[in-house]
Amino acid sequence: MASAMAYAARRLRRGWRSGELVVLVLALAVAVSAVSAVNLFTERVRAALEAQTGEALGGDLLFRSRKPLPDTIRAPSAQVRSVDTTSFATVVFAGEASVLASIKAVGEGYPLRGALRVADEPFGPARAADGIPPPGEAWADARLWQELRLQPGTPVQTGAIALRVTRVLENEPDRGNGFADLAPRLMINAADLAATQLVGPGSRVDYVRLFAGPPQALAPLLDAEPPPNVRRVRPQQARREIGNALDRAGQFLDVAILAATLLACAAVALSARQYGEKLRDEIALLKTLGARQAFLGRALVAQLLLLGAIGALLGAGIGYGVQAVIAALLSDLLQLSLPPAPLWPLLAAAALGLLMLLGFAAPPLLAARRTPPVRVFQRAETGSTGARATWLAALATAAALLWLATGEPKMALAVLGGSAAALLALAGLAWLLVLALSPLKRAVGMSWRFGLGNVARRRRATIAQVAALGLALMALLLVSVVREDLLVSWQSRLPEDTPNQFLINIQTEQVEPLRQFFAERGRGELELWPMARGRLVALNGEPVTADSFDDPETQRWINRDFNLSWGTTLNEDNRVIEGEWWGESGAGQPWLSAEDYAIERLGLKLGDTMTLDFAGEQVTLTVTNFRTVGWDSFKPNFFLLTTPGALSDAVPKQWLSSFRLERSERALLRELVAQFPNITVLDIEAMLQQVRGIAERIATAVEFIFLFTLAAGLCVLLAAIEGTRAERVRETALLRALGARSGLILRGLIAEYAVLGGLAGLVAAIAAQTVAWVLAEQVFRIPYGPRPLLWLIGALAGAVVVAVLGWISLRPTLNTPPKTVLQQV
Amino acid sequence: MARTVVAARGVGKEVSSGGAPLTILSDVSMSVAAGESLAIVGRSGSGKTTLLSLLAGLDLPSAGEIELDGTRIDGLDEDARAGLRAGRVGFVFQSFQLLAGFTALENVMLPAELAGLADAQDRARAALERVGLGKRLDHYPHQLSGGEQQRVALARAFSGEPAILFADEPTGNLDTTTGAEIIDLLFEMNAARGTTLILVTHDTQLAARCGRRITLREGRLDG
Repeated sequence: MASAMAYAARRLRRGWRSGELVVLVLALAVAVSAVSAVNLFTERVRAALEAQTGEALGGDLLFRSRKPLPDTIRAPSAQVRSVDTTSFATVVFAGEASVLASIKAVGEGYPLRGALRVADEPFGPARAADGIPPPGEAWADARLWQELRLQPGTPVQTGAIALRVTRVLENEPDRGNGFADLAPRLMINAADLAATQLVGPGSRVDYVRLFAGPPQALAPLLDAEPPPNVRRVRPQQARREIGNALDRAGQFLDVAILAATLLACAAVALSARQYGEKLRDEIALLKTLGARQAFLGRALVAQLLLLGAIGALLGAGIGYGVQAVIAALLSDLLQLSLPPAPLWPLLAAAALGLLMLLGFAAPPLLAARRTPPVRVFQRAETGSTGARATWLAALATAAALLWLATGEPKMALAVLGGSAAALLALAGLAWLLVLALSPLKRAVGMSWRFGLGNVARRRRATIAQVAALGLALMALLLVSVVREDLLVSWQSRLPEDTPNQFLINIQTEQVEPLRQFFAERGRGELELWPMARGRLVALNGEPVTADSFDDPETQRWINRDFNLSWGTTLNEDNRVIEGEWWGESGAGQPWLSAEDYAIERLGLKLGDTMTLDFAGEQVTLTVTNFRTVGWDSFKPNFFLLTTPGALSDAVPKQWLSSFRLERSERALLRELVAQFPNITVLDIEAMLQQVRGIAERIATAVEFIFLFTLAAGLCVLLAAIEGTRAERVRETALLRALGARSGLILRGLIAEYAVLGGLAGLVAAIAAQTVAWVLAEQVFRIPYGPRPLLWLIGALAGAVVVAVLGWISLRPTLNTPPKTVLQQV
Repeated sequence: MARTVVAARGVGKEVSSGGAPLTILSDVSMSVAAGESLAIVGRSGSGKTTLLSLLAGLDLPSAGEIELDGTRIDGLDEDARAGLRAGRVGFVFQSFQLLAGFTALENVMLPAELAGLADAQDRARAALERVGLGKRLDHYPHQLSGGEQQRVALARAFSGEPAILFADEPTGNLDTTTGAEIIDLLFEMNAARGTTLILVTHDTQLAARCGRRITLREGRLDG
């Protein structure tokens, strides 16, 4: 064993500089660094979210609902303390100034964990508050102080009462520092809540009951299923929005990582095969000198492990650095103090590297072990190449790697199948193009004839090389397509005219006056959506409750009221995917259009019926089409739609609206609230800004990761070019010995590489477009059209890149005397 | 009478070439006694190298029996044959066959290491000293001339103290003077150790220095 290791170390000491080993180590490092960077970062965020304690919530546990919480949710024992908070948005006034504020009424004892911090003037020294605002007083945050130009003791009109503002609220522990609760805060005593007259049926209120106590005393609250429409939140779930943003970015990251890993695998396999080929002479000699298969196996595996260790260390180092950069890029955005990076994702990534080596490098390399010793005399003797075993090992490993990298067996299989299909398609296309090229040979000059002749003569090798080059170029093009098109279309989904104001709780009789209000102020036609809130009581005539479903997500979903709207035209961000939209002719029909999510949760089919209960009024509707909805367009959208007239007059209805308001026009809100006091205005401008910021920042992070895919693609390109290098070197030397001038040979080689690259680029562009289209349609669900120019760019870029790389790879041989080259080979 | 170390009985070798069988050797019988030196001569394509590779166990015959150092090898698998060669058999090739990434010393150490000998390095040093390359231990093959490379190969062949040395055109890639030096060295070392020498050549001078010559013509022993 020791001597096999010593042999491997000796072999690598001078041999590592040979092209294919450098490519192998680089490819490995790229895969390991991509996977470790992303996993390290997400792991740090996950750990930070897990570490959120009760202070992030103001208690150890809370229950939250849009309706007053039932008394059944109460402290199970004297050890558990509890307090209620009630939050809602309303416009408050101080003198001439008015602002949409987020009111929070808190009970005695709030907060149960953490502390309120207050100051006497904005940005003055803060201290821990002793208690909560006394009745008749209110505490406002610094933003509200500024926007209302408050002085200590200024009365603020809050609904029906005026409260004196006495403190600046610096910090409240459960203030979500993400996207919720963006309006400035006014904290009042729960005892004043009723007097404001702002909370009544139909108003949009967030009721929260906080609990704190020893874990075992809280257990009964954690064990029982919360009642319908009530959500239970633990500290770890306090920062949900971060998880959601990461999930979204995660899709892009997954694509980048998968592409980088697969490409790296291809590069590793190609270079290991080349290395194995190169070793055949040596192996034959060693066998002649008495080496047994076991020794050779150990020596080869030891070489792989040494290379793997170098690649994994390099990759882990780069990965660690890159995650630090991503963390720095996103940390202020997340407002989360990230714990130091753990080591295990690095180990996991290194294990992935090892698996890559075992699956992709070991089989072709170990196949070289079967070289018969007689090759020392007869160079043509190669022995078995073990092609089938190599392919099987590669396939199995690819599946395992993809699973490891994404954690989703289904996605791994889909990607694997897709890649295999892409590779086959690439090979097929390459074959057709090579056939089409052959007649061209007679029509071109000598250099080109030489180049084209090579392409046609080595048909099988050419097809393999075009497929490999195509794969690499496809990844490169795909990265640029995804980066340019998909990210941009994701970001541009929030155009400048995205509505930033929502009006809810509009009563039917207010619809006309409201339209008139907007028309009088020159704002044109106001778009209004009708809606009713109903509960699902039966599916296809069978009564259903949450218990009818096993999956907790569906149970939670069923427990809420569904918002149902109706109309004859579809919002632009809705797309019918099955069945047909009813249009004008549908009016009055008992039909239902369901969103994708509803299909998934309820297992709906076209023709199914849903019975909904609207405050005692039951309506049965038949599903006639399915839709997808662009939920992040910030336009009002609904899971369920029916036709106008399908609901009887007895069903209670409301309307909602959204529109865009510039900062300078904000006086309109004040007039609006004065004229329609019951309508709630939601100002989401700050939230929109934040979402735009997040999209930008995440796009930058994703682009950063795409660099790895790019690097992996380059590794494949290099490996494909290195693959035929030895043969070309020999041919070149031979041609020169026969009297060909190096200019002619150079032009011929460049012609050959250009043709190879052009073919591969064309094939790659077609494949990249197809994959991008599938991704856009199936994964990201964003529109994507064909880009014919990309074909031309692909072919040209392929020709140039491959010709340049080929020239760089072969230039030294053209300047070496043919005698030296021929002696070496 | 010395012990027979290499024997072939009715050995034939056929390969398929383009689907049709091609006979390279047929019905070759011969034996070599310990310490003997034998030259296999014949024209290009007569099957000399094939016979050498069969006798050394690098390939298997299509027919007949082969014995190497007292063991029948035509029924052994490749590993067993390699194991038999380790420490018993040395090789010298026309194209030297040194590992490019290994120093002269490391190249010479290989056979002894493969045979599991503990003193591989000492043996290698001594062998290189013996061929006059004691000061070139750490040089790589590309830093050595053709003649020097073949000396390293000779050192490698003898470092494991083999019982049998196979040589395939050992002077084929060298000029006359250098070739003659290598031949002198080869026979000197052979004589000093009493090694059995089987070499393939069409260099009549070299063949003449061997104790016995056999000639192959179109795959058959001549005469």
